[in-house]
Amino acid sequence: MAVQQSPSYIGRVVCFIGFLLLFHSGYSTFEHLSYLKAIDGHESGLPLDIVIELLASVALFGLGIVLVADDFKEILMETEMAKQSIESLDARPSFYSFNHRGRAVFRNVTLRN
Amino acid sequence: MVSAAKVLQDLRASAERKPDVVVRLGKPLVESGAVRKLDADAWLVYEQVAIAALDTGDDALAQKCIQALEDKFPGSARVRRLHGMQLEADGKLTEAGEIYKAILNEDETNVLAAKRQVMLLRAMGLPSEAIGALVKYLDINYTDFEGWLQLADLYLDELMYAQAAFCMEEVLMLQPQNHIFHLKYAEILYTQENIPLALKQFCRVVELCKDHVRGLYGIKLCTSRLLNAAPSKSPAATSQEDLTAIDLLATERLIAVYGSGAAAAATKAVSTKWIENL
Repeated sequence: MAVQQSPSYIGRVVCFIGFLLLFHSGYSTFEHLSYLKAIDGHESGLPLDIVIELLASVALFGLGIVLVADDFKEILMETEMAKQSIESLDARPSFYSFNHRGRAVFRNVTLRN
Repeated sequence: MVSAAKVLQDLRASAERKPDVVVRLGKPLVESGAVRKLDADAWLVYEQVAIAALDTGDDALAQKCIQALEDKFPGSARVRRLHGMQLEADGKLTEAGEIYKAILNEDETNVLAAKRQVMLLRAMGLPSEAIGALVKYLDINYTDFEGWLQLADLYLDELMYAQAAFCMEEVLMLQPQNHIFHLKYAEILYTQENIPLALKQFCRVVELCKDHVRGLYGIKLCTSRLLNAAPSKSPAATSQEDLTAIDLLATERLIAVYGSGAAAAATKAVSTKWIENL
């Protein structure tokens, strides 16, 4: 069971700002293109301020994701295995035997929480 | 209700056998019909609760779950296997055997039924027949580590350590990263008096699982045996100095695990809680 970390609010705010910038730059691009269409201008590329806004949003997203993400997990399978109990690692569900005391023990018992 | 379903799912994934927990959580789900809200998972929960109910002797609940599965999947081999397990739990071993035989007659590659037959023979008190059936099964399904593990278990019951060790070697080929399997193999080797190899395996356990106490005690047992015996002449043997160093290191780790203040406090808290709950 992984311990739930408290979510990083700063990271989420940074992500949200990044999203707003991305949205705004997209909207600006749309406006710029419709302006170009209206004046029949031929221009390749976008104005510098939109490009800068876009790159800023990428940077903010990167920073925000790093802040929000949980701690890294070990890449080795052994470290995950080492956390598990012997009951789970040595379990053989397809070889269950019913020749055990369970029926006698639990028959007259009310299970409590 | 959602959290009960989550716990049941975790138990299914980890394969731990906790029938009391499963019945306690699953019984209200099945009886109130809330289990149907889980969509596709519902049938897995039915199967899980049915087997747990057989474990705890709650026959009415098991019957209810198996009936629900039977209505959904009529004639399915997996449901018929559950019927067989129900008969097994009831002690009607011959009838159960006939169900498994019928499933295998229709489809001889049904691994679940084949495995049940092995356990049926064991429950009947015929260990050598059970071993024979499992060997035949493993001849075909040789990548099934569960089968090899079970075969090792059956051989251990018969005190056939060399055969059990062979089975554990097969398991280790298939699951090399599981420290518990290395531990089993090491303990079989130790029982066989193959101390040098047992020492290596115990070291492997500690390598895979840091500060594994049973592994550390195994190392200490092996090193003390080897240090007390006459020094081996073979060039491959671990030198006396190395053995002493390994022994010291294992002791140091054991003291670190059990001797630290936090560990001692945790042990005390657990045992106090256990005593208070008695």
